[in-house]
Amino acid sequence: MELSESVMKGLQTLADPTVFDLKSFTIFTEVAFDSLVSHRGGSVLGHPDLKHIDQTTLKHCHTAATTFILEGVKQNADKSTISSCLEDVKFLNERVDTFYISFQVGQCFVSLIHGPPHITDAEWRLEYCIKNSHVHKVNQPSYLISLNTERAGASSEINFSCTMDQLQDLVGKMKDAAKSLERATQS
Amino acid sequence: MLFVLSEEHKHLGFLSEVDPAVVGESGRIAVEFLKKGSNPKIYEGALNVWSGSVQHGLEGLMYLLTESCKLTISEEDFQDSVLVLGFSEELTELLLQLYLENRKEIRQILSKPAPSLPHYHSLEWRLDVQLSSRPLRHQLKPTVTLKLHLEDGARRSAHVLQTDPATLQHLIDELERALAELKSSHCRRILHNIQ
Repeated sequence: MELSESVMKGLQTLADPTVFDLKSFTIFTEVAFDSLVSHRGGSVLGHPDLKHIDQTTLKHCHTAATTFILEGVKQNADKSTISSCLEDVKFLNERVDTFYISFQVGQCFVSLIHGPPHITDAEWRLEYCIKNSHVHKVNQPSYLISLNTERAGASSEINFSCTMDQLQDLVGKMKDAAKSLERATQS
Repeated sequence: MLFVLSEEHKHLGFLSEVDPAVVGESGRIAVEFLKKGSNPKIYEGALNVWSGSVQHGLEGLMYLLTESCKLTISEEDFQDSVLVLGFSEELTELLLQLYLENRKEIRQILSKPAPSLPHYHSLEWRLDVQLSSRPLRHQLKPTVTLKLHLEDGARRSAHVLQTDPATLQHLIDELERALAELKSSHCRRILHNIQ
């Protein structure tokens, strides 16, 4: 990962135990991730447990940390990449681990950057249910649909069942969307 | 098809010792219990009979109803199955009516715990068109955003998904093929023969 000198410097300061003791480091990391992930995240500046650190330094470290996190998410960095970057700026192992745990939790906001998962394909299966352990003589057909989706290079599936009527409803709505699309792109 | 009542189910015997009104009330309570879960306070107050036998009796009644609904047995089979308990004709008729009136609803309740995937509830969609971006102006890039609502028992979930026009058309074609399959002669033959 390519990081600017300012970011490297900020991270080095964050690694320094004379500036950030372990407790302050842990609090700082949590607040920094929170500020990216949730709207109601508190600020590092003026945080009661970080008051003893110079506010300019705090601001610089916050910028460096958040830039680093965003780069990591953008490039879908794995543990070894993150760890080696942090070790290069003299992060102790303990701090590398703390940082990485928060990083994994914070990866949920990947959707803010990549958007919702993109549907690539649909698979279906038609079944006829005869009976189950609670009810005999069910005798009803049902569909099992699997939507293949992709986001940031990772693929996954959404599986659900539906009756014929429900599938007709689903297809009807998709057709409405397709028709609107056609009308919009023609005008 | 008959179902066999074992020794334990002779708890239902208490029904022949009480008024038909009490039987009617017990039946109503049993159905309520099946719908909403059992509530001991109700039978302690409502039936004026010793609570130990009332509880067993109600459980016996609930078992009778669930087994009959599970097998969807016919009227004659129901009457024959209950015969072993030696009830009067009036009582058997009361129980039969209870079964017939509540059969559909109880079957619906019974089908809920069966293993299943979350099922489709509804779909919302939105059309977006990207007109411009920092590197490129004068674009016309359409995207369809879909919100798929699924239901799993009492839990609802919503999935926000996106697709492009070509994939949307492909999805429509594929799912229409799925719908057409149900009308094919192969499926019709199977549906007709397994009844």
